[in-house]
Amino acid sequence: MVELNGVNYRAGGTEILRDISVRFRPGRFNVVLGPNGAGKSTLLRIATGLAEPLSGDVRYAERGLSAFDAQELARMRAVLTQHVELAFALPVAEVVMMGRYPHFGRVPSARDREIVREALDLVGMTDKEQQPYPTLSGGEQQKVQLARVLAQIWAPRGDGHRYLFLDEPTTNLDVHYQLHVLSIARSLIDERTTLVAILHDLNTAFQFGDHFLLLHQGRVAFEANGASEVPVEVLERVFAVHARPISDPESGEIFWRFNL
Amino acid sequence: MIRRSYTATYVALALLLVAALVASAAIGAFSFTPAQMSRFIGEALGLVTPNDAEALGRNVFLQLRLPRVLVGALTGAILGVSGTLMQGLFRNPIVEPGLAGTSAGAALGAALVFVLGGGSALAFTRPLGTLAVPVLAFLGAFVATLIVYRVSSSFGKVNVFTLLLAGIAVNAVCGAGTGFLSYVARDPQARNIIFWNLGTFTTADWHGALLIASIFVVCVGLALRYGKALNALMLGEDAAALLGFNPERLILRVLVLNTLMVAVATAMVGVIAFVGLVIPHILRMLRSSDYNFLIPASALLGAALMEIVDVIARLIVAPAELPIGIITAVVGAPIFLWILLRQSRLGVYG
Repeated sequence: MVELNGVNYRAGGTEILRDISVRFRPGRFNVVLGPNGAGKSTLLRIATGLAEPLSGDVRYAERGLSAFDAQELARMRAVLTQHVELAFALPVAEVVMMGRYPHFGRVPSARDREIVREALDLVGMTDKEQQPYPTLSGGEQQKVQLARVLAQIWAPRGDGHRYLFLDEPTTNLDVHYQLHVLSIARSLIDERTTLVAILHDLNTAFQFGDHFLLLHQGRVAFEANGASEVPVEVLERVFAVHARPISDPESGEIFWRFNL
Repeated sequence: MIRRSYTATYVALALLLVAALVASAAIGAFSFTPAQMSRFIGEALGLVTPNDAEALGRNVFLQLRLPRVLVGALTGAILGVSGTLMQGLFRNPIVEPGLAGTSAGAALGAALVFVLGGGSALAFTRPLGTLAVPVLAFLGAFVATLIVYRVSSSFGKVNVFTLLLAGIAVNAVCGAGTGFLSYVARDPQARNIIFWNLGTFTTADWHGALLIASIFVVCVGLALRYGKALNALMLGEDAAALLGFNPERLILRVLVLNTLMVAVATAMVGVIAFVGLVIPHILRMLRSSDYNFLIPASALLGAALMEIVDVIARLIVAPAELPIGIITAVVGAPIFLWILLRQSRLGVYG
């Protein structure tokens, strides 16, 4: 579990996050929603240890984040960001191997290589493992990054807990890659895996998410368990849109049509 | 499977280096046969009784040629590794050691000693003796690099674009300083600065060879530890931090190592441009952009290519010789432009 207690953050005199207390539990797909500038990315930076809160604290499995050293944390916590560009022509397998860097000294072990293969296999990129990363399409590159991030926390040591954060992972991806990346992430969830994703597309979020946190102007606007519990009138207010439910005639599932 | 073994490439580069070293030791105003060279080395080591008939050749070989070969190889290795480290730091292959003000600062520091060393203004350098030039070069390089680093880093992060622009400004100031010194210098000194600004191995001696060798061993030995971290930095500073590295600390350490190596090499042989740019580029095309490979490989290839260039410098206008920097610039600048073209066309390097 990732726990934020009374987190405040300011940058350049502007309040970015105010008194955020939230628990991201393992075993479910935690989604962070919010309009642009709501503080989602800052929240993620603080939750992953990239930034320190002005006040308040972050705990992983009840242990304060400051008690971890960087390498120890890197062995159990990984972050998939938006599109990562590489200026150099590194083969795909080398990029994925970077995920194992926190686990070995100078030379990767046979197990590290095996994990790289397994991760590439999981994302369906095995046949491209020798291809230079910059020659892949955007969608393929993002799958490689997913493999790298998964290789990083493939077999966590210690208590076996791992923490995966996705920061708008499907921005710029076509619908196939979007579904693919999120399905893989979803398939990893278990009682020792905490998954937190910032997602922009609300319908995609409702399709994949279990638990929803809406940020608005640096504060928590609501928390909801299950898409059906989301207070739609708050969504409408925060995003300044009108929402109309449309139900799938076959499954009865609800989709939302948003209008200005 | 993942290609991780670079052994074959290392062996090929090492063979190239050995061939270049032997050629560079043999060819010049005095030419030596392999038999002569091994006999001289044997004599110097006391394994063979000296043959007085060859005393002149032996002296030329042992006191002039060998230190020159060593200084050349070590300078090439340092410039190659330095280019690799800087490109890793800037995440851009169009970076040269001279970019962060390092070379220009070193040049200014050394020029101070050349011009004012005899006077009272720099009397404090006199106890340093022959070390005055490298020490002041290091100070100049370090101050210049530090200014560039300070200007370009805020909130603990280095902004690459600011770094590039700050480098241009600091280079201009240092260049003006060196220009001023050569203007006010009395003739022989001015000539000294001009030659040295073009890069030359003619002044190499054993003293310099040992100094540069010790700096090389320490700095490149330490640099070898940063292969993984520089690879991770390719993904960006945040991604490197998420993999457990400390980007700010890495950048500072690599900058210091780089400054030390480049300053000592520059103090010894002057400004040699484009080697640091071209060496890593060739290796990226030849084999891989993996820094675990690039760092040792750029030392080997840098040393080998510098020997080849030095041989050309000795032959092309024999019995005189051309400053090294002229050749590296003439060969390196078109390659630099070609990399630029390729980059803008493909958006991909290496």
